[in-house]
Amino acid sequence: MIATIVKKEILGHIISFRFIVTLALLLVVVPVTTFILTNDYLKRIDDASLRQAEIETYLRSYGHFNRIGPILQARPAPIPFHSLVRGLAPDINLGEFDNDPLPVMFPLIDLVFIVAIVMSLVALIFAYDAVSGEKEDGTLKLMLANGLARPKVILAKVAGGGLTLLVPFLLSLVIGLLVILVHPGVDWKGADWLALALITLGTALYVMFFYGLGVFISSRHHSSSASIMTSLLVWVLLVLVVPSLSPYIASFLSPTPSRIQVDREVGRLSDTERDDLGRKLLAERTRELIAKYPVLAQRLSEADKKRVMERDPAAREAFEAERKTTQGAWDEANRVQGGKIEDIRKAARLKEEAQTKLSRFISMASPLSVFTYLATDLSSTGLRNEAHFGRVGAVWDQAFGAYQRRKIADLQAKDPTKDWWNTPVDMSDRPRFVYAEEALGGRVEAAMPGFLLLLGYGLVFFALAYVSFLSYDVR
Amino acid sequence: MTWTIARKEILSNLLSYKFYVIILLAAVLAATSFFVMTRDYKERLADYSLIRPKPGEPVAVNPPNPLSIFAKGLDEAMARSFEVGITGVTVRAGQKSGNAIFAFFPTPDFLYVVRVVLSLVALLFGFDQVSREKEGGTLRLMLANQTSRSAVLLGKWAGNFLSLAIPFALVTGLGIAVLGLDPDIRFSADQVLRLALILVLTLVYIAFFLSLGILISTLTRRASSSVVILLFIWVLLVFILPNLGTLVARQIVDVPSVRALSEKREQVWTREILLRIKGQGDMPSHVLTISAENDALEADYRVKFDRLVNLSKNINRVSPVASFVYAVTEIAGTGIGEEGAFKSDVVRYKNAVLGKMLASPDLKSSEYPAFLYRYRPLGRVLAAGALFDTAWLAAFGVLFFALSYLAFVRYDVR
Repeated sequence: MIATIVKKEILGHIISFRFIVTLALLLVVVPVTTFILTNDYLKRIDDASLRQAEIETYLRSYGHFNRIGPILQARPAPIPFHSLVRGLAPDINLGEFDNDPLPVMFPLIDLVFIVAIVMSLVALIFAYDAVSGEKEDGTLKLMLANGLARPKVILAKVAGGGLTLLVPFLLSLVIGLLVILVHPGVDWKGADWLALALITLGTALYVMFFYGLGVFISSRHHSSSASIMTSLLVWVLLVLVVPSLSPYIASFLSPTPSRIQVDREVGRLSDTERDDLGRKLLAERTRELIAKYPVLAQRLSEADKKRVMERDPAAREAFEAERKTTQGAWDEANRVQGGKIEDIRKAARLKEEAQTKLSRFISMASPLSVFTYLATDLSSTGLRNEAHFGRVGAVWDQAFGAYQRRKIADLQAKDPTKDWWNTPVDMSDRPRFVYAEEALGGRVEAAMPGFLLLLGYGLVFFALAYVSFLSYDVR
Repeated sequence: MTWTIARKEILSNLLSYKFYVIILLAAVLAATSFFVMTRDYKERLADYSLIRPKPGEPVAVNPPNPLSIFAKGLDEAMARSFEVGITGVTVRAGQKSGNAIFAFFPTPDFLYVVRVVLSLVALLFGFDQVSREKEGGTLRLMLANQTSRSAVLLGKWAGNFLSLAIPFALVTGLGIAVLGLDPDIRFSADQVLRLALILVLTLVYIAFFLSLGILISTLTRRASSSVVILLFIWVLLVFILPNLGTLVARQIVDVPSVRALSEKREQVWTREILLRIKGQGDMPSHVLTISAENDALEADYRVKFDRLVNLSKNINRVSPVASFVYAVTEIAGTGIGEEGAFKSDVVRYKNAVLGKMLASPDLKSSEYPAFLYRYRPLGRVLAAGALFDTAWLAAFGVLFFALSYLAFVRYDVR
């Protein structure tokens, strides 16, 4: 019997006006979005390789270790998934002078946005008259008069409606994916397809949640016009209001220290205060050194130094000691200031992490946020990826630091008098940062709670719909 | 006659479930938004008092704009700290960049509530105006009594507009009154005028969606199909078209990525410092080179970016919702145009500070001019596009009303 009602539900929906409109809308919007995002992704790849080439050109003439850090910084690279999901794209760039304010005005559209906003609304549009509409038409009475069990009816309704809803989505997604498949520049790997399959599963759970919610609301109302009002009200709250409010509420509950002030303090510690300390240490130590090696008291030019060193091994020792002292003094200054900076940064970071965590927790009251986190984490475009990038970036920083120290030591062994930090050197043998996404296993593990939460939310509303329908007055 | 019908509409609205649900929702959301955004503004103000430059410091920081409570727009970008040094401008972003969740969801300001929720509410008032009365059989009766069709339509429009606008104006007025009592928030006379304009625009926006709702209602036979169509149109107008437009424009206009620009700046100053250490040229000439190259980068980007902005604005204007957003943010002083003007001011300030630095032999001075950004006057903002956007929005509203009149004249009331 269930199969018959499911079939009836599916057929009833498929010939309905809203199904056709949904299908048409998604068939246009999803492929168009995919097409544009794919082009955008290819553009970003070009941009990244252009920037890399510029860095290489720069390095050939001006690559010196003293200020190379910011230029060789690890940067996130475009990933193939960007042709479907944008996630937390770094376009806005508020931390730099050049920022792009357009996405602040209108957030850019992607698959996650389409599912989160459009599919949830469509699910409610499909569900609002599932019970109240049949009652108005009088068919509910007839159905139940024929000895049909109520549990069967409601189960079949949710199953049939939910399945029908997924059809337009899957169809449009398949067409969108064709765009990705035919584009020679986009290379999706096995892990990407698996992640997409999981995101689709998440979409199914998300849509089923809203369908269950719609059926529940429908079975609490006796007219379909009242039921759509309530449905829209709940939708506005869950989809539009709760997620937007949550970071603000979290920022009131768990404030963070003034970011700009902390930044400036760090800037002062690593710049002027470090220089003062370095110079002070250097002066002290040089004084001791001059007492030991009087030759240092005469301020010789680099060329004179070289000449003296060739003649006199004792002077060579003195200059060697001077160089070591200079290096030691600045190392000491960097260490002391670095410790202070680390303390300040860590305190601020802990507060910020606590606020982010709280925002995330509060926003999870809305299935939209749960789905957004799940989909962005799975596609490596979300919060988890930022943390992952931070980790691989730090690893690379260390590798480059080691390379830098080794290289400087080598160069100084060759010519101890030269200021190698401020001399262009050949860095073509440097370690290069290659961005790799987190392995799928970790991403899936992170998305698991999201799946369970969506499933849980869905089951709760299905149970509520079930209970309400059992006691529904069908007359 | 029109007035009688309008009164009847208002009274029947007052008795309906829909009216209470909707008004309650809109009121709660508007109140929540006021509360949250006021608190956010105050926190940003407190942060500003911590980071504001001391007299003589070469730092540009613009205080948060009180109108950002209503339309946040790009105020966060305009309230950053710009510190001028000989190697360029160091930019530091505020609190929001420490919590990535802010980037996931839109800001719940008054503009958002109006743009998304109030538009939906207006549609829900309009969607069954004609089809409901037809289904109820009252439309026939009304017209049989020699009421002209135009009077019916106009009465319906006016009645529903008033039953929407009055509660809305009450809630908003109350919210603004509470804000006015707050000693920390001070509006200048100019800002009060701007706020009044924003409220007028909001009414135009509501009128637009109400007309759209009535139009679809006159084109459909049943209320249930009317609501479905309207919801799809709403999603298109509010969410899809404006968000897609920017991406489309980006396909057409080639703009260097912001990341490429930051990297270039980095390369310019490190190169010049290195050349200086190697002994080529004196420091002031290197400082000037850095500044000139950075300004050239900015100028080049500005030209291309403005082209992108104009194109994306024009594409987005397919949806009058985008027009509304542009007009409100520009009037509030938190729009794209204002941000561009502000950026140019920062560049000018940087050059003034650099001039002062270069005038002294050790490239340092203890007294730098203070930075003060003057918002573009309202007249210029209106001329620069806000007036056009308002007219565009109003024109769509009038067009839809005219179309619904045409459709209603031929409507089969049986």
